[in-house]
Amino acid sequence: MARMKFLCDADRCIECNGCVTACKNANEVPWGVNRRRVVTLNDGEPGEKSISVACMHCDDAPCAAVCPTDCFYTTTDGIVLHDKDLCIGCGYCFFACPFGVPQFPEQRAFGSRGRMDKCTFCAGGPEEPGSQAEFEKYGANLIAEGMLPACAEMCATKALLAGDGDLVAEIFHHRSTSRDGRPQTWGWATAYGAGLS
Amino acid sequence: MSRQSMLTIFGALALVVGLTGCYESSDVTFFEAGKYQGGDDPLLQKLEDPEFRAGLDRRFDGQRDR
Amino acid sequence: MKLIRKHAAAKPSGAALGKPFDRRALIKRSGLTAGGTALAASMPLSMMRRVDAQVSPEAEKGPIEKRTTICSHCSVGCSTIASVQNGVWIRQEPDFDSPINLGGYCAKGASLRAHAKSEKRIKYPMKLEGGQWRRLSWEQAIDEIGDKMLAIREESGPDAFWFSGSCKANNEASYLQAKFSAFWGTNNRDHSARICHSTTVAGVANTWGYGAMTNSYNDMHNCKSMFFIGSNAAEAHPVAMQHVLRGKENGAKIIVVDPRFTRTAAHADQYIRLRPGTDIPLIWGILWHIFENGWEDREFIQQRVYAMDEVRQEVANWTPDKVADVTGASESELYEAARTLAENRPGTIVWCMGGTQHHVGNSNTRAYSILQLALGNMGKSGGGANIFRGHDNVQGATDIGPLCNTLPAYMGFSDNAWKHWCRVWDVEFEDIRSRFDTYSPNGVHRMNVPGIPVSRVVDGIMEDAENLGQRGKLRGIFFQGLSANAIARGPEIQEALGALDLVIVSDPFPTHMVALSDRTDGVYLLPTATQFEQAGTVTASNRSIQVREKILDPLYESKTDSQITYLLAQKFGFADEMFKGIAIESGDHPVWEDVLREINRGAWTIGYSGQSPERLKLHMANKYSFDTTTLKAEGGPCDGETYGLPWPCWGTPEQKHPGTHILWDPSLPVSQGGLPFRARFGTEHEGVNLLAENSWPAESEIQDGHPPVTYGLLRSLGWHADLTPFEMATIAWVGGLTGKPSQTVAEEEIASYRTMESADLDAVAWHTDISGGIQRICLKHNVAPFGNAKARCKVWTFPDPIPVHREPIYTSRYDLVSDYPTYEDMKEVFRVPIRYESIQKDDYSGDYPLVLTTGRLVEHEGGGAETRSTAWLAELQPDMFVEIHPADANDRGLRRGDWVWIEGPEGGRIKLKILVTRRVGRGVVWTPFHFGGWFQGEDREAKYPEGTAPYSRGEAANTVTTYGYDPITQMQETKATLCQIVKAA
Repeated sequence: MARMKFLCDADRCIECNGCVTACKNANEVPWGVNRRRVVTLNDGEPGEKSISVACMHCDDAPCAAVCPTDCFYTTTDGIVLHDKDLCIGCGYCFFACPFGVPQFPEQRAFGSRGRMDKCTFCAGGPEEPGSQAEFEKYGANLIAEGMLPACAEMCATKALLAGDGDLVAEIFHHRSTSRDGRPQTWGWATAYGAGLS
Repeated sequence: MSRQSMLTIFGALALVVGLTGCYESSDVTFFEAGKYQGGDDPLLQKLEDPEFRAGLDRRFDGQRDR
Repeated sequence: MKLIRKHAAAKPSGAALGKPFDRRALIKRSGLTAGGTALAASMPLSMMRRVDAQVSPEAEKGPIEKRTTICSHCSVGCSTIASVQNGVWIRQEPDFDSPINLGGYCAKGASLRAHAKSEKRIKYPMKLEGGQWRRLSWEQAIDEIGDKMLAIREESGPDAFWFSGSCKANNEASYLQAKFSAFWGTNNRDHSARICHSTTVAGVANTWGYGAMTNSYNDMHNCKSMFFIGSNAAEAHPVAMQHVLRGKENGAKIIVVDPRFTRTAAHADQYIRLRPGTDIPLIWGILWHIFENGWEDREFIQQRVYAMDEVRQEVANWTPDKVADVTGASESELYEAARTLAENRPGTIVWCMGGTQHHVGNSNTRAYSILQLALGNMGKSGGGANIFRGHDNVQGATDIGPLCNTLPAYMGFSDNAWKHWCRVWDVEFEDIRSRFDTYSPNGVHRMNVPGIPVSRVVDGIMEDAENLGQRGKLRGIFFQGLSANAIARGPEIQEALGALDLVIVSDPFPTHMVALSDRTDGVYLLPTATQFEQAGTVTASNRSIQVREKILDPLYESKTDSQITYLLAQKFGFADEMFKGIAIESGDHPVWEDVLREINRGAWTIGYSGQSPERLKLHMANKYSFDTTTLKAEGGPCDGETYGLPWPCWGTPEQKHPGTHILWDPSLPVSQGGLPFRARFGTEHEGVNLLAENSWPAESEIQDGHPPVTYGLLRSLGWHADLTPFEMATIAWVGGLTGKPSQTVAEEEIASYRTMESADLDAVAWHTDISGGIQRICLKHNVAPFGNAKARCKVWTFPDPIPVHREPIYTSRYDLVSDYPTYEDMKEVFRVPIRYESIQKDDYSGDYPLVLTTGRLVEHEGGGAETRSTAWLAELQPDMFVEIHPADANDRGLRRGDWVWIEGPEGGRIKLKILVTRRVGRGVVWTPFHFGGWFQGEDREAKYPEGTAPYSRGEAANTVTTYGYDPITQMQETKATLCQIVKAA
């Protein structure tokens, strides 16, 4: 079975933050919590590139590896989810995550850390899909309704793609080849040298 | 015991001790995730249904340039 | 014991990300961790809890209905699907079927649901009394407002009142706003197109006939090159970038010219920085290379362009060294740009406020147009002037809404135009005329004179009465959907507001007006519905008309724009006449379909005649059948038509014209959307032919240039015999020979007209024949109703017939003023004087050395009243700031995040944070213009009615912007002025 993947095509991303508000719209995360963010490098200078980042749903997820309460699970197609009832809000996963994804909503005054919140690939969590309980804890479960993550579906320029990794790759490959035959994705030159095509 | 042989023994000992410091056991503790302890997610069952999966792939067409 | 990665071998996919990701940067970038928390603390509790709107179907029973609306922010026209249950908008879904956005949204479009349910709305009618907001009923509000308006009218005449319309209102509401002011008896009405693209409309319409975007966002897939000047589409029209970047992937070269390295520039192949206000020398600098190398399209120019030789003479003055000195762009940069444009045809040009908001705005837009004419890029797929309009319905509100200088459909204010609309409205011309002020200096009736433009309302209130082109000063204003912070010279506006007798704000949100005003009495707030709470049509920038369904009933006690217009018309006693032929539902709801049909019956000049509600609804229901590049339906019920029937959609709806995707494209027959340039400026000028030569639209039966089609022309061709009896009778009516005919008029009754030789009859033309007969016959013969002429590079009626450079009124290069001075002061333009040289005679560049320019942020729109009241957007972009170059910051001892004052040469000052960035060049600073709620250092939250202050407030950029207006359109010069920045204590 193929894996679900996010891909942000940095050549298409214009940092419009549509993915960020689409996520808020679908999941109604509270003020101050952003499951998805757009990061801009070289902001305001030649070479400026933006990329939208959320949980990358790692194959070998460091958050899951370090979790003292073992609250993470991975669906067969690679969506990393967690059970908030088990989460103790320790922040170890935040420490482990290479992308700074886990966030801890304030639940009370004076900044006490709440249970970890992160992107669910719009797949909710361990509750009855579409139930009020699931929505309150994890946000929407669009996957269960046959839809894909709101951020990618609503991306202004179709830079952000989410779905079966093979299909995502097919689109990206097609675009890459039409760009003078050379993928101009961010980091290509760094990884393979500027002269290589 | 001559000074020389003492030096040799000490040298050999130092070498053994030094080499021991370089040893790396292949028997390390992998930091593996434990077994998931949380509740069941009915979604997992649903995702096993190939027809449902095919539906998600059809939905993906919305993300194409068309 | 060591921790080792379980799978030591690095995966190549990891390397593709390049340098390792800095997690702290991720957190820092959001800028939310600190500010967000502080803001969150000030939020109502309900925001912190999960809002229970989005609930599962099983939790709350009730059918879920899906309705479609069009985003109410920018002009791209993104369609979105709303799921509504029990009257609550529970989910927003992408509309993948829309050929315009294909399901894509920017931050604003993806948060429409939060916008729709914002708690910061005006909830009921209110008035300010002794500094306190007092709740009123609608009956009280309409009564009190009406009585006060009538009292002002009684004492000072109808011109003492000024009405704003809105680019946010739908077409029908906009049209009713225009009609309303006619019945009130004043041309003192306007909307924010004045300060948006008015210079485009004037400049471009005077070049080739219509002042609208000529192609479409979708057509940009076909461009070989794209030239953006003064447009930051990535922030202002984000979804347009979907098409732009597809064009780029198809091989288009992108050039961005802007004082800032914008997010659009980040995607360009070439970026050229220019000094604000030097667009004309820059364009001439590019044309210099084009002419020098013989890259112009000579055949196109010979056939379809007038006076390019005179442009050539002006351009010859702009040698590369001069251009570099004035604009800052080097010879090699402009040569490269010229070569890119020459080698990659067809190419398109895109411009926005960066080009229009100057005191030479009309000249800027003509210079851009001339560049496209020289390259032969007009009337071609992949070419054209893709002028991105601003607000969601600014195009429609300009086409048929309340502008101070024209009746709907750009017909002007001549008696003929008035008589035309009176026939459409089925009212007597004399009756409408009698409603206007009798004040007629030099025998010119105020009915025939443009009103005071929105940019100059402040002067209509404050200027000495003897300098005004009307009986007296303005005494009351009615702002329906217009932000006060959109207008330049904030401190003077504040003073002017205090001088009025009556201020009425009709808006979903209180707007900056409430914060700005120091009044303690005489302000009324009318809760007005958003576009999600009403149905109607909206015209996207590409002239496509889309239908919005009503998502929700008006929230709180809100009423729609049209409802409020109707209630006031009723109060003033002209509702029956004004709404003749328009059904009124549930007491005060004018039926939008009827209003649109009335527009169809009158707006022949721009072909708003064929887009009946039924045809448009059919398009909305079959969106999926339209091609995403050509916008043409292939098969299905709309087969062959262009999405949204972009105007001109000639003739009546029954004639099924497919709409015009690309303006001025002669490769198609007129009946299929082809067109030549419009014959609008006569047939010759100073003995030179203005009509097209050896060029005509495909299958045209007149194979040469020709003037606009009149009954006389039809008669001379013998085509008039095809007119039906009703059409013939209507022409006779319009010509003044008979009364209004009935649909069933018999041939015998009109037979005499067919043989009559009458100048009155012959003069009835394609745009005044309200039967549509002349247009029908034009289509039959594939002849353009408006004639076939050349585009003109020289507008002999304008102060600068060929665009010439003039330094900004407040310029940082005072040394150039002697060579490129502004205009002499003008006595009366649209009823108010304009000062030019009397301001420019003083050099401010010493005390105010920084050039100040303003612009857009993606998260906010316009004055920001809506977006700053939308929690998700306010969270993303909470603070007003100014971008400053590191060198300018260091010169002033400023560090990242410091609070500073920006001080303007006219005394305005604003307090805000700095953002040190190389995005702006040295000597130029930039601020967004969306903020409001602060005034000169003070957060005026307390002035808002309780619970209505936006989540995010800040200084309005226009508090420091200065004087400066275009002589043709009264556009304000907000893109190039001066300022100084000092550290705030």
